[in-house]
Amino acid sequence: MEIKELIEAIAKALVDYPDQVVVRAVEGEQVTVLELRVHPSDLGKVIGKQGRTARSIRTILGAAGMKLKKRFTLEILE
Amino acid sequence: MDIASPTGQSQENLLAPAERILQQILRRGGFELSYLIRAQETAASDNPEFVFDFSGPDAELLLERNASLLDALEYIVLRAARLPAEISERIVFDCRAWRCTRAEELRLTAQIAAERVVATGTRIELTPMNARERRIVHLALKDHPSVRTLSEGFGSDRRVVIFPSSSPDTR
Repeated sequence: MEIKELIEAIAKALVDYPDQVVVRAVEGEQVTVLELRVHPSDLGKVIGKQGRTARSIRTILGAAGMKLKKRFTLEILE
Repeated sequence: MDIASPTGQSQENLLAPAERILQQILRRGGFELSYLIRAQETAASDNPEFVFDFSGPDAELLLERNASLLDALEYIVLRAARLPAEISERIVFDCRAWRCTRAEELRLTAQIAAERVVATGTRIELTPMNARERRIVHLALKDHPSVRTLSEGFGSDRRVVIFPSSSPDTR
């Protein structure tokens, strides 16, 4: 799925340990949840100051979803 | 276009990490957008800004809700590209001259709010804005004789507050 790869590409570009990035897509009926797991020391890199990085990723995800007429949410696993 | 930088590297090389991640996001996100990079002289510094100017069928999407997608793309690309700060802070993402239109809108909003503050003698809080936009508002009222400005709140809730300059109330 391209959207999963979108999140993977963004996360890998942001972190220090790209090979530790794992994205899992959990598809519901109306919505697909993307679970993002990164190396513990990279958590700050995907969340950002006051959550700004995570918020920006969600904005990009929301826009990509709008194009596909599907809803996606991003869960960052700790 | 190939512009020599002070370090002797071409603009193309300097911006390559940013372009790489940007192109991945555009492709995988299915965004129908293309961009041109132009070097733009600024009044503030001798070094040009690098403007990534977007166009295409998804330009509307990019500019929705005060260009939240344009800002998100710029933020993520600059984080991910890990460019030296002196390059990074000169990169601006733009589309249909949005930055210029928005700056004008902010300066006008600031002037109108300042007039109201003077007329009523009470403070006005503007809507939350990012640092770049707050800076435009602060600068617009910097030399205003009767009002002062401050930023309040945290993170995405941070906003400019305008006070009568006579007011001792800075909270």
